[in-house]
Amino acid sequence: MLKYLFSKEEDIPPGTAAIFFGFSSIVWFVLGTGLGSFNAAKLAFPDFVTGIELLSFGHMRQVHVLAVILGWISMAFAMTMMYITPALGNTKLWSEKLGVWNCFLWNIGLGLGLFLLWNGVSSGREYSDMPWFIDLVVIFGVLFPLGINVWMTIKNRRTQGIYTTNWFFGAATFMVIVVFLVGNMPEFFNLTGLTEAYLTWWFAHNVLGLWITPVAAAISYYVVPKVTGNPLYSHRIGHLHFWSVVVFYSTPAAHHLMSAPLPEWLKSFASVEGVLILVPAIAFVSNLLLTMHGKWRMFVENVEIKYTITGVLLAIPLNMQGGFQQTRAINWYVHGTGWIVAHAHLALLGFSTFLEAAAVYYGLQVLLRRKVYSLSLANFHFWMLLIGFSTYWISMTIAGLIQGAGKIYEVPYIDVVIAEHPYMIARWVGGTMVFIGNVVWMYNMWMTARAGTPIPAGRLPHELAYER
Amino acid sequence: MAWKFDNPLVSLADDQQNAAARGVWEGESLGGITEDNNRLPVPVVGLLILTIVTSFLVTFPLWGQRPTAALYEDYIALMDSPQVQALPDDAKRMQYIVDTVRAKGTAKQPQLDRHPLSMDDLRLIQGQVVELQRQGARMEEFTVLGNRLVLANFEGNWRADGTRERVQPWWDKGYTIDVFYIIAFCVSVIVVVKRLPPYTWQPKHKH
Repeated sequence: MLKYLFSKEEDIPPGTAAIFFGFSSIVWFVLGTGLGSFNAAKLAFPDFVTGIELLSFGHMRQVHVLAVILGWISMAFAMTMMYITPALGNTKLWSEKLGVWNCFLWNIGLGLGLFLLWNGVSSGREYSDMPWFIDLVVIFGVLFPLGINVWMTIKNRRTQGIYTTNWFFGAATFMVIVVFLVGNMPEFFNLTGLTEAYLTWWFAHNVLGLWITPVAAAISYYVVPKVTGNPLYSHRIGHLHFWSVVVFYSTPAAHHLMSAPLPEWLKSFASVEGVLILVPAIAFVSNLLLTMHGKWRMFVENVEIKYTITGVLLAIPLNMQGGFQQTRAINWYVHGTGWIVAHAHLALLGFSTFLEAAAVYYGLQVLLRRKVYSLSLANFHFWMLLIGFSTYWISMTIAGLIQGAGKIYEVPYIDVVIAEHPYMIARWVGGTMVFIGNVVWMYNMWMTARAGTPIPAGRLPHELAYER
Repeated sequence: MAWKFDNPLVSLADDQQNAAARGVWEGESLGGITEDNNRLPVPVVGLLILTIVTSFLVTFPLWGQRPTAALYEDYIALMDSPQVQALPDDAKRMQYIVDTVRAKGTAKQPQLDRHPLSMDDLRLIQGQVVELQRQGARMEEFTVLGNRLVLANFEGNWRADGTRERVQPWWDKGYTIDVFYIIAFCVSVIVVVKRLPPYTWQPKHKH
């Protein structure tokens, strides 16, 4: 990477930035899930690693969360944007050099931010935990350069139309900058009280709703038609999906604070909008599943489709949960319990991770011009991810229901802790399976770069048979 | 950007524009990806309508309302009556109170059924309910929270006397905003998709 930071633009091979982002994302995924497994072990076995302050749960939880969101998920997004955006415009990336610098600053900034978080330098606000000067690095060193590259590549496209995926990429990079600027205002301007609480959850909600969800969906709009060879079922439904994300996902932030003394009309408004996130979900899922028409055998036979369609299918329980758990009648029961932790992992480790993994698998093969090294290892990764995630999700959902009952019926806290202990162990087992799967994935992609079968010019990875 | 309004449910673009759009649609390769022009399947339209209706039905505060002090006034009025005191244990006393209030008939019965209490629960709030009654407080504005009565955190309209309404209505301006918001969304998306060639036309992809 260092070689390309000071090279001339024309000396940097196309796809360089995307490859760096791709491998960075996998490394952050391994680190993030490793931390997650460690943290889960501390919840399952309270005597595991005690007496070292820096290894206490309070120091490490947010490092896990942000390593996964800003390292794994967001870098995988950057990777996909750097190869899909130009591909869809029949052009090249506006600036490979900016992309390489973007990746370099991203890794440095994130590493620094997580180091500070680990040492307790934190805003204390969930999801926007980074101190304000790291937020500025994220906005101006990470997101803004990414946005510039995406917007300029779309502007310089050699097509008249803009494909659905690129609407999402262009809009999401803009929206996430606004989310970071506005959502971190409590720190920039020392806002406190309800304003701080509301903006904290406005940020957290919209990082999911206007960044992770739409970009993950945009990836599948590319992978499914590209790999199956089918046309996208409906351009019209793409419009419905895009605009309903913008309208209905940007508004329900207050539903995270249903028991706070916010204005009641704002909660009513947000709660209806919260159910209406089902509108983009229905549009998205129906469009992608109908695009699979006649190609369902690929769900079994092809790695990228297997991951993508699993992610698409997980959008159904994700949005059913998300839409209804925020209503007054249900929220009072599940709020502040493991149910919400399960839901957050359904969004980030279920729905979105499967879509990003598909894009990274596919993108690295295309950019390296090498077929994935081992189908067996890719399948092993898939099943470790799916079974590990499912174990986590189900166990935490049950633990959440136990905690909710304990909360409502005023069961002594220690009794609730004892009752949920088996599920905390299951959570650790599931999370550790995900971590092990990711280590295998990293090896598989490293070997793909070194020893994957070369893809002949003019051919695409999915057109070649798997060899191992 | 010519508009045509003679058949708005088919297309809002004129023939020339639709022809140009078809040409681009069929002739252009977007990185090897093509798109069809299918409409939203009718069952999915039904699902979306159901979602919008459901979004209002499940979010009315009625479903998540906490028990109020007003709910238990009748119970507490009966607690110290000779008929109740004559009963041998708390279970029978509570049953007598519940049956008596039910037999008398009250509009609050469904809420009472959803929020049952024991005699011990009643004893914990009895003093607080009596005190609020003595002060002439609006009992429906106080929520029963465990062993405490607290002023509901709902802040509604201002009354003429300068106090605020503390009872959640089944409808508030948040819902009204939602109605306008959804209408604006539906109209906007319909306009956007009706600017495309009609869904009866499907592209013949050349790539």
